[in-house]
Amino acid sequence: MANDPLSHTFAALADPTRRAILVRLAEGEATVNELAEPFDMSLQAVSKHLKVLEAAGLISRGRDAQYRPCHFEPAPLEAATDWIVKNRQIWTERFDQLEEHLKRMTHDKEKEKQR
Amino acid sequence: MSETPTSLGELTVTRIFEARPEVVFECMTTPSHLTHFWGPIGTSTPLEGITVEPRPGGRFETVMVNDETGEEYPVRGVFVEFDPPRTFSFTEAGVEGGMTTAIVFNDLGDGRTETVTHQTNVPPMLMSPEAQAGLETSFVKFDAYLATL
Repeated sequence: MANDPLSHTFAALADPTRRAILVRLAEGEATVNELAEPFDMSLQAVSKHLKVLEAAGLISRGRDAQYRPCHFEPAPLEAATDWIVKNRQIWTERFDQLEEHLKRMTHDKEKEKQR
Repeated sequence: MSETPTSLGELTVTRIFEARPEVVFECMTTPSHLTHFWGPIGTSTPLEGITVEPRPGGRFETVMVNDETGEEYPVRGVFVEFDPPRTFSFTEAGVEGGMTTAIVFNDLGDGRTETVTHQTNVPPMLMSPEAQAGLETSFVKFDAYLATL
């Protein structure tokens, strides 16, 4: 799990505060102070969440040592969305073929009866 | 075919088949049936690559082969639940941090079966009641955002 990027993405997103932080950052960059305010959290707690989001590649942080504004990085989310799309496709095609298979079974049975 | 909105890392596919639950369940858990439909379009699933040990803890393994390139996509699952003809579920430890697939077979009472397939690769430990509650609230906004990506 540790080396799997998609797991990192989903793990990072499993926390409601981190999702809320991302929703806020999707509107534009913000500093730790700006993020801490609406969430009524300590700077330390927000920093902890930001570290997880940064490790998952969901945000990047500016170089300005004092402010280090956070930017939202959509790429891992797109990968997560791709996963859903890909797997939905697999199951849809699989079930299409099962439907055909069931039809063939019924057809064969009726043929047998007619003999 | 209907599909409910999905949360991140979760997928639900609902489907109605013109056959009774016993028949649909058997098709989905018997190698001689699976070989006919398991691989999505462009792949096939040779009978010799399918292992079904029909019990909790038993293996549920298939190898999908790309028809053009011959590339193989093995699925190495282990049954968590096996309760014919109502439900079965399996986990794939090696896939994207652990993927779980659960299929429920609902008897529609008129010879048809509704299957609800729920797939998730969110590790179960993250699906705590708190996390679930979080899904309910903040995901509404987040899903709307995702839809714009």
